[in-house]
Amino acid sequence: MSTILKIFVFPAAMVVMCLGVLTILGGHITPGGGFQGGAMIAAGLIFCLIVYGLKESPFNLSHDFLSAIESIGALAYVFLGLAGLLFSGFYLYNLGVDLYNIVPASIQAIFNYSDPTNAGIVPYLNFVVGLKVMVGLSAIVYAFLAFREYGEEAVDEPIEEIE
Amino acid sequence: MIIYFGPLIFGFLLGFILGTRIRTNPESGLKFDASVYLIFIIVAFIISYLLGPFPYYEDLPLANGFLAAAIGIIMGKLIFGREKIPQKT
Repeated sequence: MSTILKIFVFPAAMVVMCLGVLTILGGHITPGGGFQGGAMIAAGLIFCLIVYGLKESPFNLSHDFLSAIESIGALAYVFLGLAGLLFSGFYLYNLGVDLYNIVPASIQAIFNYSDPTNAGIVPYLNFVVGLKVMVGLSAIVYAFLAFREYGEEAVDEPIEEIE
Repeated sequence: MIIYFGPLIFGFLLGFILGTRIRTNPESGLKFDASVYLIFIIVAFIISYLLGPFPYYEDLPLANGFLAAAIGIIMGKLIFGREKIPQKT
């Protein structure tokens, strides 16, 4: 890639990621949400991967990081849904933080999403979906680039050396 | 004036997660020093002012989630974003 692109892309990718974060945070009051914001963050990561390549990309997502964030996103979504099922009988019911007046006010104050619209659990759902989509889409591109890079090396080498 | 901490905290958290992943390769010819991050934070201020706040949020004249994410990226880079250890081949 050209030198201009290599200078420009890293800061530009960070700006795209911040826009993705903003899209996630405004999911309950503006168009957008977890999926769209996560896709925008992944676009920033993919932008860096395409320009700098797999080895020189400034954003390094390890396999452990990808699997941990994917798992956290999926499990948090399931547990938020199960909390609704447990307390109201409906999966993903928007409970808020006051569960039948049994949660102390101090704990409610910690977990209540500070927001003028009192959105309940919707911002949390957007957040976890954003995490999951971000690593999901990035992992696909990582896998394709790694297959291309390391797959060709493996094909060139004799079978005994690989083993 | 009420400051809504929801977007600030979650924006910072998401930015921080991304910032921890910035690990430049020491063997690479690319060097991203402090000037890159300085330009980024200035641009982030300008963009957040031009974006304006969300509807119903009238606490600050900025897109505070955007700014929190930008600060989170830089903090994550400063705290956890070390150089990548070269792999032995």
